[in-house]
Amino acid sequence: MKKTALFLSLALIGMGSALAADPAKIDWGKVPAVNVPLFYPGQSSYEWLISDAHKGAAKETKRGDACAFCHDEPDAEKDIGNNIVAGKRLEPTPVKGKNGYLELKVQAAFDDKNAYLRFQWATKSKNRPSIDYPGYRFDGKEWKAYGGPQLNADVLAGKKPAIYEDRMSIMLDDGKVPNFAKQGCWLTCHDGERDMPKLATKEEVAANPLMKAIKRADVRKYLPASRNDPSDWKTGKTVEELARIKAEGGFVDLIQWRAHRTNPVGAVDDGYVLEWRNFDAGKNHFASNMDNEKKQPKFMFDAAKFGAKALTADDFGKKDMFLIKGVNAVPFDPNAGWKEGDILAQYYLSAADAAGSAADNKGTGVWKDGMWTVVMVRPLGLTNDDDKTLKAGGVYSIGFAVHDDNITTRGHHVSFVRTLGLGAKADIEAVKLP
Amino acid sequence: MKTTRPILLAGCLFLALAGTAPVHAAVDEAAAQALAKKNDCFKCHAIDKTKKGPSYKKIAAKYKEKKLDEKEAIKQMIEGKKVKLEDGSEEDHKIIETKDPKELSNLAQWILSR
Repeated sequence: MKKTALFLSLALIGMGSALAADPAKIDWGKVPAVNVPLFYPGQSSYEWLISDAHKGAAKETKRGDACAFCHDEPDAEKDIGNNIVAGKRLEPTPVKGKNGYLELKVQAAFDDKNAYLRFQWATKSKNRPSIDYPGYRFDGKEWKAYGGPQLNADVLAGKKPAIYEDRMSIMLDDGKVPNFAKQGCWLTCHDGERDMPKLATKEEVAANPLMKAIKRADVRKYLPASRNDPSDWKTGKTVEELARIKAEGGFVDLIQWRAHRTNPVGAVDDGYVLEWRNFDAGKNHFASNMDNEKKQPKFMFDAAKFGAKALTADDFGKKDMFLIKGVNAVPFDPNAGWKEGDILAQYYLSAADAAGSAADNKGTGVWKDGMWTVVMVRPLGLTNDDDKTLKAGGVYSIGFAVHDDNITTRGHHVSFVRTLGLGAKADIEAVKLP
Repeated sequence: MKTTRPILLAGCLFLALAGTAPVHAAVDEAAAQALAKKNDCFKCHAIDKTKKGPSYKKIAAKYKEKKLDEKEAIKQMIEGKKVKLEDGSEEDHKIIETKDPKELSNLAQWILSR
């Protein structure tokens, strides 16, 4: 990463009240570390989980038994991940060379102001992490999508380059989502979603009452409680029923650090899952760079600061290409002499624009010697209706996921659910900072 | 010869220990556990924890009490008989994916020596 972006990240995290610790100054050597095994889950959806295809476990999972009740033998995660990633089951399009297993080191601390979660993992690439993002390429007439994640059909077919950002994600619940403490993230992963079995067609989504009501064009993560039939995305509850579930806290927090879209501005996004994978209210640290009315990008690079007004295909994997408002972005000029092959970022970033509940979380990641070290900073005591409130003494169910090596959707490594305690007994016990 | 006495002593000690050791002394633990893992036995059984099925310690104690032997344990693994689970329900026991008598004997001995 460029020094400017890193400096900005650290400076933003350092801001806050005197009660908050500077994450960069926390002595992590004194904070206990827990190694959490992550594995490649392929298409092991909630529907598969409770089906007879999940051999010898359908009855148990339907009644709500915990995944780890059976999968607790040594190397359980390693065996499952290696089996699936090789395409032996649950993975119709294996990604060549992908690892089935990943070890995540987790540390946690808190003070009167924030919780601090530190993660470390080795990336597949030892030369450069995945910090790029698909862009918009000018073909001489129009700006069209360029690049995509590894599981994208065009990428698999070799028609597009594999480009996507690394991510570190957590899902967190305070005990209000039935069964999350036992089956964790699997509650949110369903047939019909992107890159999952029985992918919902555009027509099916367009005709679906819930999808129409929430103005969504595809199916994303959802909780079983949001559907009348928990295994059928088409059976969504009414908006009124969903509002009641949300008001009762029946959603999981989804917090994601993103190597391209949040890290350069010292941020971590803030979302939640109920009927869809939603971002919290307010404004994210990143926004689409496409002006849909004019069919052209909103911003281009400031050539004086970036060295060019646009990227080229050769820049991917070599040049840090974060388009940051107020740093290296200027309004798009349609008369700037665009030529075929010019590429602009799909998203522009702005810490200053971020607002509301969506802007709660901060954080930063540093990649060194083949290893990401990411620190998420989550304020305690949030009272937004789309946040789980963290407090001293609290114990939470938490699932972890890492997207590594230009991939998204099911191409992650995930954990069985764990507990996080803020000064309380749990699998991962956050240490109170002095 | 200076080395004869220690070797003889060691030999006697080995024989003495062999005489007192239980039958499972020859069990290849690593091979037994690898076979059990390969066949997903540990999804339902743990050594000393009740899972979907009884723990191996409980099984060993039951076999000892009922004076059942290794052959009975092997039958359980290869015949897929109905078994009563810890939650009270019944299910066909998984049939192990080996017919090698040595492997089956080794695994049965390992289970019964828990």
